[in-house]
Amino acid sequence: MTTWVDTSCIITVFLALIILSNYRVTAMIRIFALQSFVLSLLPFFLHAYSLSGRDIFIVIVTMVLKAALAPSILFWAIRHVSMRSEIKPILGFGSSIILGVILIAGAFWVSSSLKLPGGKPASDLILPCSLSTVLLGFMIMVTRTRAVTQVLGYLILENGIFLFAVSLFDVMPVLIEMGILLDIFVAVFIMAIVVNHINEEFEKDLASVSRSKMGETF
Amino acid sequence: MEKILQFPWQVPFGELSLRLDSLSLIFIVAVFILVLCAGTYAAGYMRQYRGKRPLGLHIFFYLLLSSALVFILLADNVILFLGAWELMTISAYFLIVFQDDDASVRRAGFIYLIASHCGTFLLILMFFLMAHHAGSMDLTLISHAGFSPFLAGIIFLLAIFGFGVKAGFIPIHIWLPHAHPAAPSHVSAVLSGVMIKMGIYGICRVLWTINVLPDWCGYLLLLIGVVSGVMGVLYALGQHELKKLLAYHSIENIGIIAIGLGVGLLGRGHQMPFLAVLGFGGALLHVFNHSIFKGLLFLGAGAVIQKTHTGQMDQMGGLARSMPLVSLLFLVGAMAICGLPLFNGFISEFIIYFGLFQGLFHLPLQGAFACALGIIALALMGSLALACFTKVYGTVFLGEPRHPGIQGGQTPALMLAPMLILGGICLWIGLFPQTMAKMAFSAGAYLSHSQISTLNMGNIFLPLSFIIYGILLFLIVVIFLAGLRWKLLRGLTIPLRETWICAFSQITPKFQYTSSSFARPIVDFFKGILFFKREGGEVKGNFPLKTSMASSVHDAVEEFLIKPMYRRLTVLSKKLDINRIRYTQMYLMYILLYLIFLLAWKLK
Amino acid sequence: MMFIVFSILSHWLIVLALSPLFAGIIAKIKAFFAGKKGPSYFQLYFDLRRLFMKNCVYSRSTTWVFRFAPIVNLAAVLVLSLIIPLGSFKAPVHFSGDILLAAYVLGLARFFMIIAALDTSSSFEGMGASREAFFSCLSEMVLFMNFITLAFLTHSISLSTMIGADIPMSWKMAGTVLLLVVGSLFIVLLTENSRIPVDDPDTHLELTMIHEVMLLDHSGVDLGFMLYASAIKLFIFAGILVPIVYPVQTGIPLLDTLIFLGGMLGLSIVIGVVESTMARLRLNRVRNLLLIAFALAFFGFVVKMWKG
Repeated sequence: MTTWVDTSCIITVFLALIILSNYRVTAMIRIFALQSFVLSLLPFFLHAYSLSGRDIFIVIVTMVLKAALAPSILFWAIRHVSMRSEIKPILGFGSSIILGVILIAGAFWVSSSLKLPGGKPASDLILPCSLSTVLLGFMIMVTRTRAVTQVLGYLILENGIFLFAVSLFDVMPVLIEMGILLDIFVAVFIMAIVVNHINEEFEKDLASVSRSKMGETF
Repeated sequence: MEKILQFPWQVPFGELSLRLDSLSLIFIVAVFILVLCAGTYAAGYMRQYRGKRPLGLHIFFYLLLSSALVFILLADNVILFLGAWELMTISAYFLIVFQDDDASVRRAGFIYLIASHCGTFLLILMFFLMAHHAGSMDLTLISHAGFSPFLAGIIFLLAIFGFGVKAGFIPIHIWLPHAHPAAPSHVSAVLSGVMIKMGIYGICRVLWTINVLPDWCGYLLLLIGVVSGVMGVLYALGQHELKKLLAYHSIENIGIIAIGLGVGLLGRGHQMPFLAVLGFGGALLHVFNHSIFKGLLFLGAGAVIQKTHTGQMDQMGGLARSMPLVSLLFLVGAMAICGLPLFNGFISEFIIYFGLFQGLFHLPLQGAFACALGIIALALMGSLALACFTKVYGTVFLGEPRHPGIQGGQTPALMLAPMLILGGICLWIGLFPQTMAKMAFSAGAYLSHSQISTLNMGNIFLPLSFIIYGILLFLIVVIFLAGLRWKLLRGLTIPLRETWICAFSQITPKFQYTSSSFARPIVDFFKGILFFKREGGEVKGNFPLKTSMASSVHDAVEEFLIKPMYRRLTVLSKKLDINRIRYTQMYLMYILLYLIFLLAWKLK
Repeated sequence: MMFIVFSILSHWLIVLALSPLFAGIIAKIKAFFAGKKGPSYFQLYFDLRRLFMKNCVYSRSTTWVFRFAPIVNLAAVLVLSLIIPLGSFKAPVHFSGDILLAAYVLGLARFFMIIAALDTSSSFEGMGASREAFFSCLSEMVLFMNFITLAFLTHSISLSTMIGADIPMSWKMAGTVLLLVVGSLFIVLLTENSRIPVDDPDTHLELTMIHEVMLLDHSGVDLGFMLYASAIKLFIFAGILVPIVYPVQTGIPLLDTLIFLGGMLGLSIVIGVVESTMARLRLNRVRNLLLIAFALAFFGFVVKMWKG
């Protein structure tokens, strides 16, 4: 089972790297849905031999919230304000990939000196992969100019934290519930964005003020 | 076999003491071969200037340069070394500005002189620091002294920057791309082949003198090698002018040598003598190989430019038909510099790769990462060099002439013979590397202060012998296939037609790919690092008129570091001018201040 | 001595005999997806026989380089095939560092193909040559990154030890790393052998040209050599990938050979499916694909270093 856990960890990190380099909104949201789906199956793999009701509950709730509900809200949001993808990304494809792998290497390097509480974790890779996902999520937030995609970066960051928390399930169970609460908060936040028609940068420059009122983004 | 001569000398602190050890041996062999070949070449090449320019002066400085090079390699005394270094710098300057009616040539010589003297300033600092600490000006005696890690680090940094100016590390390489195209071709060959290597020799000598260096030195050298190598070959890809491209390629090969030296230093620092010998030996063998094939390439470029009177590759083409022997020898040089099997470049790159892989397995974590970076960088450099030299060879020698007036012609035998010798050496080392490899490994062992007899050198000689078998097998298969093709086509008449260009009615040579269009995808990919400028070429309107476009790759260090610094210095010096003090008074004031300082210091 | 000669000849016999069949299987699968009957499995054999019997036509712009390049290409690929172990057949040439000889012999073949393309003074071939030079930079980086990871896993730099008879690694021990390496090497296989999504092996249009256009002006015997060399190269790359995907060592030579051939069949089916279900990528997407392959390989290296 360790192999399945390992595989889902590296798939998570790899998909976060793909999102970092991709600037098309629909593609980003779909890959995020895939990543959340893979993550939500993680409690299954971790506790394959001793499934409890709590595990199944966590899996189902996570899957519904993060792999189905959040992406559909995001899709509805971008349709509602008829948002388009960014035309000129901050970083090109090559630079984002290189930056992403440097961040992953850095996360692995830092993790070698971090110590986890509560005995031996289920798999060696969970800590560095979760740290990588967190860093990649941060980077996604930094390199995006549209509000919706920045929220997406935040969701990916939160995925990383979830990955980390799930492995500490027995030690700190309350963390999981807090995580789910965080997801609901984000969903509400997205609604707020939509309601207030903030579809461009949070900081506007003078040129784009007149365009943003009617939902046109280019 | 060390100290060979020792005579007192009138110069204070100076002594005419010479030493010959395995480290200087490999450099001396390279110097002799290249100086002789380039000199023979010059006898044919300079014939066109007979009566128009002072040839005797040129030959005088050439011989002076050669003797200065030999003295640098044999010097065992700091003053002798520095004296020979200065002599080398100045005689090279006079050689570079041979065609001094061209303003760009004068400017190139001037940049070279200033850069060299900045380097020499750091070198004087470094040598005096070393001599003061050890209490003697004799290099043999200095090497017996122990250096604290802090002092060793300072000396190492001074050596990197001081010798690095001559060697051509990025970012202190800026004189290279100007000086090499400006000089006549045989001078460029000697500059690129051996004078740059004097910088490497200096660094090797410092590495030998200071036995124990802090760990970060090896990493720094590796990093400098990676950066110089990749940036060098990228800049080379963007050039239109043949000799400037070859100059940037020298920077890349210096990067490869620095990677080898870095690996060797890491091995020495972590007490792994086999790794140290591999790294140093590979780097020194590459020093030798590079002087041979770069000399060959520059001599070939000179033969081409002599006939076409321009260095712009985009105006040449199809020269293989009119200059068959030159094109064959240039192909040999191009294959050698790309590190392809059959020629000597592959052997030295293989040894450096082997060292990097050994470091990957046996060094601690940071070392393993550094070696992985080195391997990736070497692979990237190799493939970029392949792209660059297919560009050069294809544009200059193959295809159709792009400009109607550019033709080839007969090259005099005096110019062909040295090229043949150099090409032959490339092939010889590629097929029978044992002799030169042994020399390089003994030099490497000397540099890493280990005994070569205690190491199992079979670990590297066995793969090398397998490689030779593989290459010989390859040649057998080639001969077999060529025979098969001849047999299949025997008796048939082979028709010759025009190249198919999708049924265009008028085929002109302008359809061909130019060198800049060939290199365009790569330059585009790396345009974050390269400074790519494009002027003109906008197509406006429905019936656009004739327009022209020029694109160029500029040296980022020059544009973003040197030129702004120069501008600021000019502004600053203009401001200082406001004081209206003349120069004479200012210098008198300096002397006065120094006198007061001396009095205060000595009388306290 | 005789044993070495015998093993070299038998290795070549297998490679020369089987590689056109391999290409034929892929073509048949693509035809199946397109709803056609497709060419016969042995079509490439017939093509090669026909080409060897034909006369050559040369362009007036070309020099001896153009005539020499197909010979160099085929010879290089044949020497390369000696370094690759095939199933239970040990590679006749194996020494520490033979991966470097393999990579640079491929580079030699590529060098001559590119300058032969520039020799014809045709803009089509120049285009293909330029793109080939660019993509080979990226794919060499990816290949070497994978070599580093494999070298770490098996603690040796000989291809026979990395993927050959004594594979010390298995999916259970190093599963995630192998997954990343296999993904990365598969993309390299598609790139080096000009398969969709990188290049279209069936057409010679400007849009798709990388490798295929460099063959445009060759004819007769030369074209036969070039086609044979491409088929052998594809077979060799598949032969590198199959033992990594399926490192099984039963000890019975016949069974090992059958497993190897079965793996090759499976890989050819996978390549055929990938080629039929994807469209050829735009050229700057191809560059992105190679960068993703590099990210995969680097990630595999990082995970391997982490696991110790």
